[in-house]
Amino acid sequence: MMAGEGIQLADSAQTERLGQLLAQQVQAPAVIYLSGDLGAGKTTFSRGFIRALGHTGAVKSPTYTLIEPYDLAGGRVFHLDLYRLNDPVELEFLGLEDMLAQGGVCLIEWPEQAGSELPPPDLTLQLQHADGTRHATLIAHSPRAQAWIQSILTHFPPISHLKD
Amino acid sequence: MPDYQNKLYRAEQVRAMDQYAIKTLGISGTVLMERAGAAAFSLLQQRWPDARSLTIVCGTGNNGGDGFVVARLAAEAGFKVKVLLLGDSNHLQGDALAAFQRLQSVDIEPIAYARSKLVTCDLVVDAILGTGLKGDVSDECRNAIEQINQLGTPVFAIDIPSGINADSGDVQGAAVRAAVTLTFIGVKRGMYTGEAVDYCGEVVFNSLSLPMAVYATQTVEVERIQYANYQSKLAPRPHNSHKGHYGHVLIIGGETGYTGAVRMAGEAAARVGAGLVSIGTRSAHASYLNAGRPELMVHGLEEEGLFDRLAERATVIAIGPGLGQGQWGQEMLRLALESGLPLVVDADALNILSQAPRQNDKWILTPHCGEASRMLGQSTREIQRDRFAVVGALQADYGGTVILKGAGSLVASADGPILLCHGGNPGMASGGMGDVLTGIIAGLLAQGIDQQDAAAMGVCLHAAAGDAAARAAGERGLLASDLMSWVRRLANPSA
Repeated sequence: MMAGEGIQLADSAQTERLGQLLAQQVQAPAVIYLSGDLGAGKTTFSRGFIRALGHTGAVKSPTYTLIEPYDLAGGRVFHLDLYRLNDPVELEFLGLEDMLAQGGVCLIEWPEQAGSELPPPDLTLQLQHADGTRHATLIAHSPRAQAWIQSILTHFPPISHLKD
Repeated sequence: MPDYQNKLYRAEQVRAMDQYAIKTLGISGTVLMERAGAAAFSLLQQRWPDARSLTIVCGTGNNGGDGFVVARLAAEAGFKVKVLLLGDSNHLQGDALAAFQRLQSVDIEPIAYARSKLVTCDLVVDAILGTGLKGDVSDECRNAIEQINQLGTPVFAIDIPSGINADSGDVQGAAVRAAVTLTFIGVKRGMYTGEAVDYCGEVVFNSLSLPMAVYATQTVEVERIQYANYQSKLAPRPHNSHKGHYGHVLIIGGETGYTGAVRMAGEAAARVGAGLVSIGTRSAHASYLNAGRPELMVHGLEEEGLFDRLAERATVIAIGPGLGQGQWGQEMLRLALESGLPLVVDADALNILSQAPRQNDKWILTPHCGEASRMLGQSTREIQRDRFAVVGALQADYGGTVILKGAGSLVASADGPILLCHGGNPGMASGGMGDVLTGIIAGLLAQGIDQQDAAAMGVCLHAAAGDAAARAAGERGLLASDLMSWVRRLANPSA
């Protein structure tokens, strides 16, 4: 189930659209890892995701607070940015297990920073810069995540496998 | 899963979610019906592990469709299954028709419902009417419903017991009495209030694995609450405490001949943790009340100016228990309103208020059905018919926070959803229970808990105390005074 599906995102609007479409599929509780360099679109994706669930205000990356909770009509979304996490032990103070027990969805930017302290993901999204556009790779870690991915793939062009 | 089971919806909202899942998200109706049937069959096996023979009574709508799926799955699992169809099979359509046709794969031939076909079995599954019911049930349905109820066999209801209005909890002519009800996508708000509580039995919720985006499409108008939600508001106290830190409740009431009500309200306020409790009552029995519970400071309130001097020291006034509707009571209510203090208004104070309705944002009103009917000028039958509408109308007309007491007590404020507490038990239908609630809420307000929280928390705490007292020694014969020791325990959640 680790085989990734690659798609092209023409611009940031498409990245946001990917977030929106995935949000329409996800059943809580769920954990989604977002990896990619600075500026690859992790927060843009999160914005699309969180707004699709009814949030109307701004969505900013919680770089300093590490976590931003959203209490939405459909349930809670916890947006984490672990870029500045000094020590994985700090995660304990965030109460991640509680968030999942409450039935929330966790969007986690920079999961690599946390070592093995994070709950395992249902889905990993890898974002990369590629020739002025972006490539996204969606990796399912469970059958239900596979179903989420299958239902959104048709909305985006696949990554061309022919490289010169 | 998020706490979807505590969010309560109108039938129309659930229908909109269902349609959003099907039309926008592309989840097929058949898939949803199969999920519903599978969830129902699974719960059926959990709750009735010894059941082997089922009679499944199906209507011709989608509720019946869920029933056909249960029938097929049960037959596949080796159950003895009889499907009785209520209504014309030519009316079946869409997903329900498809589920009906799939019954052929297990050789089940549905037969037309007739009383004679309703024979002994281990369990009846009610899949006659769902949430789309408008107006009273047909004569044909009514007969079937009554016959099912008379059978004495346990009933498992799919989505909602047939005949229950999903929005109001009203019985539409007749309704199936279920032991367990499995409800899908969203809990229907009518299931926890009014008459419905006697028909739904245990309510179990299943989301059919719908994405959270489906839930994001609806505003939650009603939310179910319990005491655990509020316990953190009563943290252990610092050692360096002073009685002045916990407020001063002034209880006004007790017209000549009605002393018990103020005593119970006062004691409840003290037991929930108010720092000081004063009672303003008729002079004739002031000293007598004081002797019975010396911690309560009791004052005869007939002397000019005394009310204002008491109010000056109070944090909150609770008025109404045993107040009477005479001149004295009316004068007391006028003075209480003039004090500008937060008020808890109950019993006769509500009856007086109903003569000349007015608005106030700083009061909590605690009517039961009879008081609500006077306050709105409607019959008690009308009040019971749609308690959500009534509590909303009371809040709109009178302002503040309104608690409509009864099975499934409702709390409405200017903002936010209506809160529903379905704790409590029939043993609490006895004299003085309302006075205890009034005292509890006043005691919580006095300790600095804000108006809406004090109202909601008070209702939950009162229900939890009643349930604890009933567990200890039974519902019948439960007295309001029996709640006091439990009120104290519950007010110390960390102890």
